[in-house]
Amino acid sequence: MQSNKTKRSQSINLASMRKSFSVKPLALGVTAILLSACGDKQEATVFTSVDECTNANPEFAEKCKTAYEDAVQEAERTGPKYNSQRDCESEFGNNQCRVVQQGSSSFFMPFMAGYMLSNLMSPRGYYSQPMFTSYSRYSPYRNRWIGADGYDFGDQRRRNMRVSEKALKPKPTVSKTMSRGGFGSSVRAKSNWGSSSKKGGWGG
Amino acid sequence: MLRVSIDERANWKRKAEEFGFKFHTMHGEAYWDESAYYQFSLEQIEQDLEQPTEDIHQMCLAVVDKVVKSEELLEKFQIPQHFWQQIADSWKQQDPSLYSRLDFAYHGQGPVKLYENNADTPTSLYESGFWQWLWLEEQVNAGKIAKQADQFNSLQEKLVQRLGAIGKHYNINQMHFACCQDTDEDRGTVQYLQDCAKESGLSDDFVFIEDIGLAECGSFSDLQNNKIQTLFKLYPWEFMQREEFGQSIERAQVNWLEPIWKSILSNKALMPMLWKLFPNHPNLLPAYFEDELAKATETKLVKKPIFSREGANISVIENGKTVLHADGPYGQEGFIYQAYYPLPKFGNNHTLIGSWLVNDQAAGISVREDSSAITQDMSRYLPHIIL
Repeated sequence: MQSNKTKRSQSINLASMRKSFSVKPLALGVTAILLSACGDKQEATVFTSVDECTNANPEFAEKCKTAYEDAVQEAERTGPKYNSQRDCESEFGNNQCRVVQQGSSSFFMPFMAGYMLSNLMSPRGYYSQPMFTSYSRYSPYRNRWIGADGYDFGDQRRRNMRVSEKALKPKPTVSKTMSRGGFGSSVRAKSNWGSSSKKGGWGG
Repeated sequence: MLRVSIDERANWKRKAEEFGFKFHTMHGEAYWDESAYYQFSLEQIEQDLEQPTEDIHQMCLAVVDKVVKSEELLEKFQIPQHFWQQIADSWKQQDPSLYSRLDFAYHGQGPVKLYENNADTPTSLYESGFWQWLWLEEQVNAGKIAKQADQFNSLQEKLVQRLGAIGKHYNINQMHFACCQDTDEDRGTVQYLQDCAKESGLSDDFVFIEDIGLAECGSFSDLQNNKIQTLFKLYPWEFMQREEFGQSIERAQVNWLEPIWKSILSNKALMPMLWKLFPNHPNLLPAYFEDELAKATETKLVKKPIFSREGANISVIENGKTVLHADGPYGQEGFIYQAYYPLPKFGNNHTLIGSWLVNDQAAGISVREDSSAITQDMSRYLPHIIL
């Protein structure tokens, strides 16, 4: 009747359960790039203009241009969008945002600050994606290369990096977010109640 | 079932830091307590806990099947009418569930008695699946616990497997995870599930419940305006259904974890329904809806709100008089009554067993102690072994 198997997990990968690196989340993106030398990483370069790309790769002038155009389109589709100029500028800095019309609505997006190119010489085709950066003193993105999804690729002065393939995949689109904060009100109401919710968790 | 004292590992707090276990001490009081452990026999685990856990789960599913088809019962379960169809659809489609925790009173012999089913947002997952596992590993290596000791705890293994299977079911390679702001415990629980998801090959993104956005197209979005396609939410369905974005849930087309049909299980109305469908089942306590209290023959009853967390608003009533009461913010949706059945006492401690399910498989137990007969949110967590 009794089984001979053990009743607990056979093994657990302890290394993957360690969290001590996550103390400073801001440095996370950079650390991950520096530490990981795994096979799924590849070289990528950030260019701030088509000319810059062409000067570095004269034989690929045409690709530099189409990659730039792809990135511009991708920036509009997937880049950060804000309801107000103030929200956008507080994240990206004064005069760093523009109005964009999509359908009947308009919103504010940061200017594309550059584009990341990888596999430019590969016959299988290149990857490109828009890069943003912030000039706002209040933003964690200040002087960093930031992907459309907010991924931090590191210091803006660095142009060459090794990134995972996943980081180069196109991001899913969501149209403009209309409102936030529509979930969570019960917690505010019940937390105000006092002593029995002192621990504050909402699981059970 | 024994309570055995043991020396704490000298360096366990540093270890906790290293592994990101931040809520071992809360509000100055110990939550993780390794000054003792509970010891079970394999027979106790397999016959008294493992098998009943899977049986009760099947009984609970029978309740869901009945309730989704009855407007009268959905009303008794205090589920807003707007969600009846969504719940029925989610049940009919068999939207996959991830996990649950059944809370048991168990005296080391005889049948366990089910107190309630935490089917929607169970916590103490990390300390069960990982932290107590590591404790046993290290205490055995240190020679403090016999080599042949085991633990009823295949949680992590099963969670990884199940998350992978859910990924296949929905044909996805990424999941979003969410909990509320300002709680280390919930954030830790969700981070653990993110770790398990990663291990299963999925990529994971996190968003706070309060930061979820509603996009023009009707989708929910995270702070980077990415569409939320699949969401594990450590946030109760009964809250979500009553909040502003509740009306947008249907159109947002999210793959939810837990699926919305679990609203029926994480609901104390489950208890009287189980008793109706499976009267006198050895693992059930007699339970009644408020309007059928006249049927109760027990002199001592526990009054529980239909929706509540961590023992809040629970009273013990003896011959019509309240003899014990825990305060809290719940209760406006009504109450149910359950026959009083005490927890076992080990010294001054009242001991509660949480029995885990991953989908429909029993996956391990957690042991919590409280100085009060009502286990509340300041109870302590102790590890266990099988020997």
